[in-house]
Amino acid sequence: MAAKPETGFAAEQGLASCHTCGRLSPAELGHCPRCDTPLHLRKPQSLTRTWALLLAAVLFYVPAMSLPVMNVSGIGGGENSTILSGVVTFWEMGSYPVAIIIFTASVLIPILKILALGWLCLAAGGKLGGSAKALAVTYHITELVGRWSMVDVFVVAILACLVRLGSVMTITPGPAALSFAAVVILTMFSAMAFDPRLLWDQRRGSPIPS
Amino acid sequence: MKQHHHGLAWPRRDPNEQVACHFCDAIQAAPRIHEGDAAFCGHCGELLYQNRPRSLSRATGFASAALIFTVLAHAFPFLTMKAAGSRTELSLIGSSMALADDGYPLLAALSFVFTVIAPLVLTGGLLYVCAPLQFGRALPGSLALTRWIQRSEPWSMLEVFLLGFIVSLLKLGHVAEIKFEIGLWALVALVLCIAGAMAGIDRRELWDRIEIALHRTQTTES
Repeated sequence: MAAKPETGFAAEQGLASCHTCGRLSPAELGHCPRCDTPLHLRKPQSLTRTWALLLAAVLFYVPAMSLPVMNVSGIGGGENSTILSGVVTFWEMGSYPVAIIIFTASVLIPILKILALGWLCLAAGGKLGGSAKALAVTYHITELVGRWSMVDVFVVAILACLVRLGSVMTITPGPAALSFAAVVILTMFSAMAFDPRLLWDQRRGSPIPS
Repeated sequence: MKQHHHGLAWPRRDPNEQVACHFCDAIQAAPRIHEGDAAFCGHCGELLYQNRPRSLSRATGFASAALIFTVLAHAFPFLTMKAAGSRTELSLIGSSMALADDGYPLLAALSFVFTVIAPLVLTGGLLYVCAPLQFGRALPGSLALTRWIQRSEPWSMLEVFLLGFIVSLLKLGHVAEIKFEIGLWALVALVLCIAGAMAGIDRRELWDRIEIALHRTQTTES
């Protein structure tokens, strides 16, 4: 860990950086003088909100995986496919790249993102350790990668739009599509609610400013 | 007079400004930097801000190109599919509408926001804010609009839609006769232009320039 900077830390001096424009102003102003965003030393109730959104995402993940994501109806009768059965079908067909893309976007990324946010929250609360470098990298990846999980929802939308051939073959969305969109949106909000400065507050042993 | 001088640091109201790292909260001086340079936190090494070369002209150019491609991407379908004697078309709005028709209005609304509204706010907003800034002017509403641009950035998911399109094609396989249309190439170009426009300008530079432009308008009026 680097030595304490001579100029100190913003929160200790009652200074808040604006979430929107980055201007440093005294927190007691209430609103950023430049862009009028409400000022906070740290994102308000950051850990509580991150945990709550994360928990909601975990709950939605269960129906997202177990319910059908789309229904294929046609001459050969109806068929429901879940996200996992779709991956298995592609793998058996020999389309390994597609199987890997869907598996990564819909299974791996959400789970890893939920675990990563949980780790960050625990580290910020002082219950788990981790090097500053590893935590910083985890935070950046979490912020960047989450939106790509939405790919499965778009696949359902595109197929539902294209494959409407009446009795021959028609694809309609299933309930898992909505749950899955909820998982992605909730984890994105969860990552936005997390304040990385809490990790450094924890490291310095300074009380968490509100 | 043109207010954008290439190769120089962007103008700022307070030359002795300090910043706090958004990652570790360490306060430090925020020197003005030349084009192509970046400032990093002296405490934790995070990127603080950077001066992108020709940022305003790049943001303006990419944003106007993106708007043109938006029109094309909405005016033409991405592909037409012929199978079993019927013909279907794919478009951005059509794929959202399909979700609504099949009983998922909420999902349709979300998909509409991610693929239509958020990209439009990004590109239209950047053009509205950045084009007049090249001449040192800020149009009314620039402050609110810039906040909205930043807010909608994570929700603009056209590139994810494009990946979904590729996966869907592979999923359809050879069951149907598929023909690509102009809309698809417009969508590809649109995704590239949005990336170019967003990567073109640093957040801090944009806000510093807006502040100066607004200040100038206020002082000339009074």
